[in-house]
Amino acid sequence: MATEAQVLKALSQVQDPDLRKDIVSLGFIKNLKIDGPRVSFDIELTTPACPVKDQLKQEAHDVVKALGDISEISINMTSNVRSRAVQAAIPMPGVKNVIAIASGKGGVGKSTASANLALALQATGASVGLLDADIYGPSIPGMLGMTGAKPQGAPDGKILPIEKFGLKLMSMGFLATDDTPVIWRGPMVHGILQQFLGQVEWGTLDYLVIDLPPGTGDAQLTLTQSAPLAGAVIITTPQDVSLVIARKGLRMFQKVNVPVLGIVENMSYFVCSKCGERHEIFRHGGGRKTSEELGIPFLGEVPIDPEVVLGGDQGVPILLRKPGSPAALAYQQVASNMAAQLSIQNMKAAAPADLNLRWKTISA
Amino acid sequence: MSQILPAGLKQIDTRHLSIVWNDGHESVYDVKDLREACHCAACKDEFTGVDRIPPGSIPPDVYPAQISPIGRYGLTIGWSDGHDTGIYSFEHLRELCPCAECRAGRKI
Repeated sequence: MATEAQVLKALSQVQDPDLRKDIVSLGFIKNLKIDGPRVSFDIELTTPACPVKDQLKQEAHDVVKALGDISEISINMTSNVRSRAVQAAIPMPGVKNVIAIASGKGGVGKSTASANLALALQATGASVGLLDADIYGPSIPGMLGMTGAKPQGAPDGKILPIEKFGLKLMSMGFLATDDTPVIWRGPMVHGILQQFLGQVEWGTLDYLVIDLPPGTGDAQLTLTQSAPLAGAVIITTPQDVSLVIARKGLRMFQKVNVPVLGIVENMSYFVCSKCGERHEIFRHGGGRKTSEELGIPFLGEVPIDPEVVLGGDQGVPILLRKPGSPAALAYQQVASNMAAQLSIQNMKAAAPADLNLRWKTISA
Repeated sequence: MSQILPAGLKQIDTRHLSIVWNDGHESVYDVKDLREACHCAACKDEFTGVDRIPPGSIPPDVYPAQISPIGRYGLTIGWSDGHDTGIYSFEHLRELCPCAECRAGRKI
């Protein structure tokens, strides 16, 4: 019969490849119970979207089995999303991780990616919100079939997010009708974004995904100054012009100390549904090359698929409409890689210092 | 990208602020010097860098009434003279460290 010590020693051979430590030192093993020849335990990961979840479970099973005399091994995979402790002008206490989805240029598919990545994270079991920070051209309501929805107020004066497909949503699109242009100068954009951060009843979320507008302007300034950003993801298409501008977005986050979780190459290639031939319409591979050059993780390639656009236009993103499609699978993989990078960042980060100080004018 | 970050802020006395950095270094600032080093557009010309603060307009007993972090890259200070639009990046603050070691390093 195996002892607890023996089981833990065996399990300490299993390494988390992203966090580079064994799962026992990482504190992942919980509820270890040994009942004669039957062993059971939980492996509590840092995110339900862990890309190597199945691999870890199999390895854990194998090392315990190798101890011998064990008839039954029962492993329960759980998760506890660790919060990124970030000081922010607008604290969001129930939100564990805020991730910005950015680009440099417009038209690279940020909103489509944001919606599908949020749904992908949720599909793994996480609680997710999606904040549309594009005040001038909000796409999120349309993408999720919620055009015309009107947010209600909570008794304490806060705004209740719109809920769809299990996601909590907020967008300027819910506050202005579809054909009303929002003709606002910067300070107004700043104000509404601060309200979206601090006045919306987000509740408890594992991840809040923020869909940024293109560029490095007001929305980006407000968010990097006011929001507790845990990390940013850069969406680019393969061609040079997109990559060059994407680098600007990337450098912006580096300047303001927001970790860049990685680069996604969207519209990476097209596979003809009739003949199966692959076409690299916007060229291919620039995203991976750029990430290698800059030492930033590459989170994955997403192919061009007319179904993606159809999903967006019809208000049901491809991740829900066709979860087995190559594009949906790609988004799922990107989401897992993104969550893994976030876990790595969170593990690296020291507890933030308290940088608030009120000056005392009377000597004690 | 700055990875030298403050580990703590402390008020030393009515005129001095200490920042202990995550590399172990400690910077002690005379707060009047910090106020004069504000390089927001109202205090330093955006393009030429020339001082825009009229001489004598900063009270000698000026102090940082409220210090807060901004984003993950700096501090904002609400000064006793009413000025509050300055953003002091961690990089800038470290460059302002008046200690002999840092000053020697900057003499290059």
